Amino acid sequence: MSGPRTLGSKIVANALAVVVLVVMLFPVYWMVATAFKPGRDVLTYTPKWFPTHPTLANFRDAMGRAYFWSDVKNSLIIVGVVVVLSLALAFLAALALAKFRFYGRKAFIVLIIGVQMVPLNALVIPLYILLSRVHQVDKLSGVIVMYLTFVLPFTVWTLRGFMLGVPRELEEAAMVDGTTRFGAFVRILLPLVAPGLVATSIFAFIQAWNEFLIAYVFLHEPSKQTLTVWLANFTTLRGTEWGPLMAGATLTALPVLFFFLLVQRRVAFGLTAGAVRG
Amino acid sequence: MSSIRFANVSKVYGDGTLAVQSLDLEIAEGEFVVLVGPSGCGKTTALRMVAGLEEASDGEILIGDQVVNDLAPRQRDVAMVFQSYALYPHMSVRQNIAFGLRMRKVTKPEQRRRVEEIAKILGLTEHLDRRPAQLSGGQRQRVAMGRAIVREPKAFLMDEPLSNLDAKLRVQMRAEIARIQRRLKVTTLYVTHDQVEAMTMADRVAVMRRGVLQQTDAPQRVYESPANLFVASFVGSPPMNLLEARLSRGPDGLVCRIGAAEVDLGHRPELERFADRTIGVGIRPEHVREAEGEEPRLRGEALLVEALGAELLAHVAVPAQPLLVEDVREGAGADDDEAALPAAATPEGETTMLARLDAESRVRAGDLVGLSFDTRRLHFFDLETGLSIRPVAAPAPAAVAG
Repeated sequence: MSGPRTLGSKIVANALAVVVLVVMLFPVYWMVATAFKPGRDVLTYTPKWFPTHPTLANFRDAMGRAYFWSDVKNSLIIVGVVVVLSLALAFLAALALAKFRFYGRKAFIVLIIGVQMVPLNALVIPLYILLSRVHQVDKLSGVIVMYLTFVLPFTVWTLRGFMLGVPRELEEAAMVDGTTRFGAFVRILLPLVAPGLVATSIFAFIQAWNEFLIAYVFLHEPSKQTLTVWLANFTTLRGTEWGPLMAGATLTALPVLFFFLLVQRRVAFGLTAGAVRG
Repeated sequence: MSSIRFANVSKVYGDGTLAVQSLDLEIAEGEFVVLVGPSGCGKTTALRMVAGLEEASDGEILIGDQVVNDLAPRQRDVAMVFQSYALYPHMSVRQNIAFGLRMRKVTKPEQRRRVEEIAKILGLTEHLDRRPAQLSGGQRQRVAMGRAIVREPKAFLMDEPLSNLDAKLRVQMRAEIARIQRRLKVTTLYVTHDQVEAMTMADRVAVMRRGVLQQTDAPQRVYESPANLFVASFVGSPPMNLLEARLSRGPDGLVCRIGAAEVDLGHRPELERFADRTIGVGIRPEHVREAEGEEPRLRGEALLVEALGAELLAHVAVPAQPLLVEDVREGAGADDDEAALPAAATPEGETTMLARLDAESRVRAGDLVGLSFDTRRLHFFDLETGLSIRPVAAPAPAAVAG
């Protein structure tokens, strides 16, 4: 881009950014606002933009419903296991792909991209049959395995990119300095790809926490379901209870937000600067 | 501290590239040996095999009396300085230097004492708590040195440690590394493509080409009596003048015909068998002088005169065939500062001869210059083998008065 930016183009660019922001934030705002509205304010012919009589009744209603706490627990278990397992497996897999040459490596890399192109919806029924044969339907472990199948390709791919950015000499220097090969990975490579681990853990967390379809199909027992499936129960034959649903959705969104705030400060890129001549 | 020995070591890579071929080389305890050669000559591979970062395909590598072929890098107790320095970016300078000690379970107070001592020697004391990214190139280089020194290893391995520094800093660090090595008396194997580094720092220079060791000797000896055409053209800056010549028998012994000029060589038994054959003749630029009160041996036009302060470097086009064999091209091309193949710009049948002349000389570009030299300063090469033709019985024409 060259030439001075005129005032006009700046205004257009900023206006566009504001529009995008509004489009993205409004649904979130509407969810939170609705959660605080009393029942009579939720569905009105003239929309109420602000909760004029804020109330916590919807939250009390939502949290008081059956299976809320057990489903919170299920979601946390699934997400926790998926994040930890995906990081551990992806680190090792990415390590192999980035640092070692082996037969079939290229094919494997292509496969990782390839499997992400298959629509998940098309796989639900075959996977259901597969899992039922190994008695994993209606079990958290079954869903965890399912989630790993679509979280892992992305995390492996991302971490591989981070690892390729770490010069080989760093590990070699560590090995000459007295570490084992594995020690060099743990002491040198692991801290240097930490931003990558954080980024992928956020991805894995969001994916596993927000997933609905698989959890809905594979988990029947209400006490074994996840929060997203629990949310669907607000829509009944008699209609949708918007107030409690939005309160539940707001509660469901909180852990992701907290997790992100917790780890985002560690996404400090450029940690490898200064390793080799810059 | 230990010696390092390559015993018939070869390295073949997976794709069939022969990187190092039957290398035999011993680096004595406390000795500073520089492995030098153009890029791709296998010198770095040889170094990495000592470090254990590369496996030898054949032969044995010994550190001290121990065969280390099957030992992991950490078990070899050597320290390596990488071309890129390879400092750990997430650690402070202190942690970088202490890393090797920490891995070897040296106690904390002892780590501290040694790191601070080394920092003092290298002038890094006030930078100890900084990260590598906050240091200048020269400081990073020092940290890399410190990391190697602090461990008091059996040997130092250095892989082109100065090539990322600017020219001035390189000269300074060159002296510093040589000084540190002499002070610590640690066996050192140093790899570089820069023959000036090799000449100035080494106790002994080992010249490699295409995986094969060409010559190992003291820098001055390599310079004064190169083993073959490749070494002759590679070592020296400005490079040796290499010309084609024809030997014939004259009334007073052998006559060497260089272009139109005839040079009487007198009685030279070692050259007898080359009579009536074409050979290579070499002479260093500092041994070529302006003819004064004598019949010049070669005459030509000065194409360019470079004033270097203490001396003049004259490029003179003389009527003689340049030596355009591969050995020479490869050797000269490796050192790209002044060796910009003079033959290229010279007309057919002429060779640009480099002469280091006295600063007082009045030669200007365009002048016709008469050049002379002492025939005892000539180097002769067998064009079939590329080998230097050495005087019979005498080891080398070393101490000859100019």
